Amino acid sequence: MLRNILSGKGHLLAYIGIASLLLPPFFAPRFYVYLMSLVLLYGLFATSLNVVLGYGGIYQFGHAIFFGAGAYGSALVITKAGLSPWLGFIAGPIVSALLSLIVGLICIRLSKLYFGMLQISLSFLLWVIICRWQDFTGGDNGIIGIPVPDIISSPNNAYYFTLLATAASLFVAHRIIRSPFGSLLQGTRDNPVRCEMIGVNVRAHQFAALIVSGFFAGVAGVLFVVVNNAVFPDMLFWTLGMEAMIMCLLGGMHTFMGPMLGAGLIVVLRTLITSYTVYWGLCLGIVLMAVIFFLPDGVLGHFNKPGGRRPDMVTG
Amino acid sequence: MIGAFMACTVASALGGGATGFWPALIAAPLGVAVLSLAIERSVFQYLYEREHLTLILVTFAFSLVMGDLVKLVWGTQYKSISLPHGFEGFVTLFGGLPFPKYSMFLLAMGPLVALGLWLLVKKTKMGKIALAAAVDREMVEAVGVNVSVVFGMVFVIGCLLAGLGGALIAPTVNVALGMDHSLLMDGFLIVIIGGLGNIWGALLGALIFGLAQSLGILISPQFGVVFPYLSVIIVLLSRPRGLLKSTW
Amino acid sequence: MLEVNTLRKSFSGFRAVNGAQLDVQKGEIVAVIGPNGAGKTTLFNLITGIIKPDSGQVFFKGEDITGFPPHVICRKRLTRSFQVVNIFQRLSAFENVQGSVLARERRTWNMFTPSRKLVVDETNRILESVGLAGKAQQVGGELSHGDRKVLEIAMALAGNPEFLILDEPTAGMSLEETQRCIELIKDLWKVFGLTILFCEHDMELVFSISNRIMVMVHGATVIQGTCDEVRRNREVQNAYLGGSDPCLM
Repeated sequence: MLRNILSGKGHLLAYIGIASLLLPPFFAPRFYVYLMSLVLLYGLFATSLNVVLGYGGIYQFGHAIFFGAGAYGSALVITKAGLSPWLGFIAGPIVSALLSLIVGLICIRLSKLYFGMLQISLSFLLWVIICRWQDFTGGDNGIIGIPVPDIISSPNNAYYFTLLATAASLFVAHRIIRSPFGSLLQGTRDNPVRCEMIGVNVRAHQFAALIVSGFFAGVAGVLFVVVNNAVFPDMLFWTLGMEAMIMCLLGGMHTFMGPMLGAGLIVVLRTLITSYTVYWGLCLGIVLMAVIFFLPDGVLGHFNKPGGRRPDMVTG
Repeated sequence: MIGAFMACTVASALGGGATGFWPALIAAPLGVAVLSLAIERSVFQYLYEREHLTLILVTFAFSLVMGDLVKLVWGTQYKSISLPHGFEGFVTLFGGLPFPKYSMFLLAMGPLVALGLWLLVKKTKMGKIALAAAVDREMVEAVGVNVSVVFGMVFVIGCLLAGLGGALIAPTVNVALGMDHSLLMDGFLIVIIGGLGNIWGALLGALIFGLAQSLGILISPQFGVVFPYLSVIIVLLSRPRGLLKSTW
Repeated sequence: MLEVNTLRKSFSGFRAVNGAQLDVQKGEIVAVIGPNGAGKTTLFNLITGIIKPDSGQVFFKGEDITGFPPHVICRKRLTRSFQVVNIFQRLSAFENVQGSVLARERRTWNMFTPSRKLVVDETNRILESVGLAGKAQQVGGELSHGDRKVLEIAMALAGNPEFLILDEPTAGMSLEETQRCIELIKDLWKVFGLTILFCEHDMELVFSISNRIMVMVHGATVIQGTCDEVRRNREVQNAYLGGSDPCLM
């Protein structure tokens, strides 16, 4: 992918792209920088979901808990254990990866719909526990005013940090998708019986994918803490996971950058619309339906249709 | 949720509370049925051939849209409706336990509706066709049945019952926005632990769910709400396909 | 090499397999025939671990593999192709086989090397041996039916098997494609030394290349023997003359 971009006319596109990512903090108002940070971290969140959803064919309805776990994990480490924020940032994804391990162990025996439903149950469980456990987790109000290292506390620096973390995560995730693991994961999505018959332990691969996905969702959660200095129980609520699904669907579930694009579109749309009206749910619902009817492959998927270009497998 | 809201509107339009209840009970489900018919014909009927994930997302999309529409039409305040005549107050059960009369009514309604539905599915021709179509749509179409219409009817009946449920529960809770979210998920979970497609399963699932909730709150007021979900987890772990035989 | 002992499997009361007996010696080609619905595919599914039997045993190379999951059985070098084409539609022929090779080599856990660089030679070798080298880059969904069935076989080959199970390999193929497939099967047997178990409806094919034949009716084994023995068997004659397959005699 990178090679394609950096050759020929891709050159110009690449430079514009990189510039548009690096320059804004210099001249754009604080709010837009903040918005871009949000786009990046939600994009990472959506991409992490897509690892199991788009590439693995797993109905991960409860994805929000991994996001929330990463955020709460780091927040609690910082505020309750009083450790350095950097340690908190490392703790976050570890917590979410561990959580996805546990959730995976519980849910992996079920297929498709049942898997998704069980996950929602588990996520609801966790959400209720966090909401009710006032003393430890701040309950309904969440935790605000989480201290972050000075170097990344300003909106601009937070943005750069987010950019760096997101880019690194996307790079790793991309490598994983293009590796044999990623190819066979797609195989398990398209044809699990065939996979079993060529020697692939489908459940084990799916399990691993879950952990990868959970890990990156946790990273996104940590980035939320960096950008907002706060955590809220709603981060764990299952509807956030559904929003991530919508982002994936909108951008293109079978493409790598699709979810990122979807996240960008949704975050921007949400900000625009909520400033005019309170009926964001209505709009989101309509957007979702429009996508399902007219753009079932998502925006990127539409342009990347097989019959010529094929996503990810060969050209990446 | 819409059923509940409609019930309130109808009831208050008819002079509120006690007398308005019964007409509301009939009007609300019908209103919901009409609405669902409109939705189904315009949107859902084109989606039956898509994969399951799509259907789930569309349903979710609709709940988003409907949620806001309800806000639009009914405003954001709580609504309420009072209990019908003769159903207020308590009945004393064995050992002197006061038991709300309305709850008894609800207790009776549940199995009654289930029975009616079961009869519909098992005994009528339409019910059998619907079952067959759920398993193998192409085959049913090949024998000349308009499957689209069948699915449509199934959809509407389901929504009608939901509306009925909403209207029935309206006197006992605050009718407000957001009741749909928790109900949606709870409903899904109940149906799944009971066994998809099995009506008695849904009843059993609801029973378990409700009992777990009540027991839970009794045992631990702070975390009691968690109990039903725990029970869902336990059930799904021991019987991944639900408690009773599912058709899937 | 493969031994099946009174295997039984019911689906909600319907006895799909009802006491199947089979034995295959190393280096043989054995065919399973029977009227439609006799339980041949179910038998294959039971042997390869896709479903678990209610009772009975399956022995492979002396080891009891009854009820083992498919991927474990594949590692023991027993692979199969499917009756209903079961390839990865979105991937190219090359990638289909490549995936199978990677799976065999247990490199599917490698998360960091781009897959397109791996096992290229091996994959090409397999594609050549089945005659699909020219179509390596075509997407699975776009291949002709005959080619897809051959791709199935290629994927089974990628597992470097000693024992190959083919479920109706020539189903739906044209005359020409069937001929090529027959040649391929003969090659696999003679040149690669594979032991082959297959099922087919094309009787000419069955009688021309099998060493021994097993006949299944209503889920049970009626007879297993040489071509002549089977032809002469009264029960087999009844089953076929009274039933669906006119090609036997």
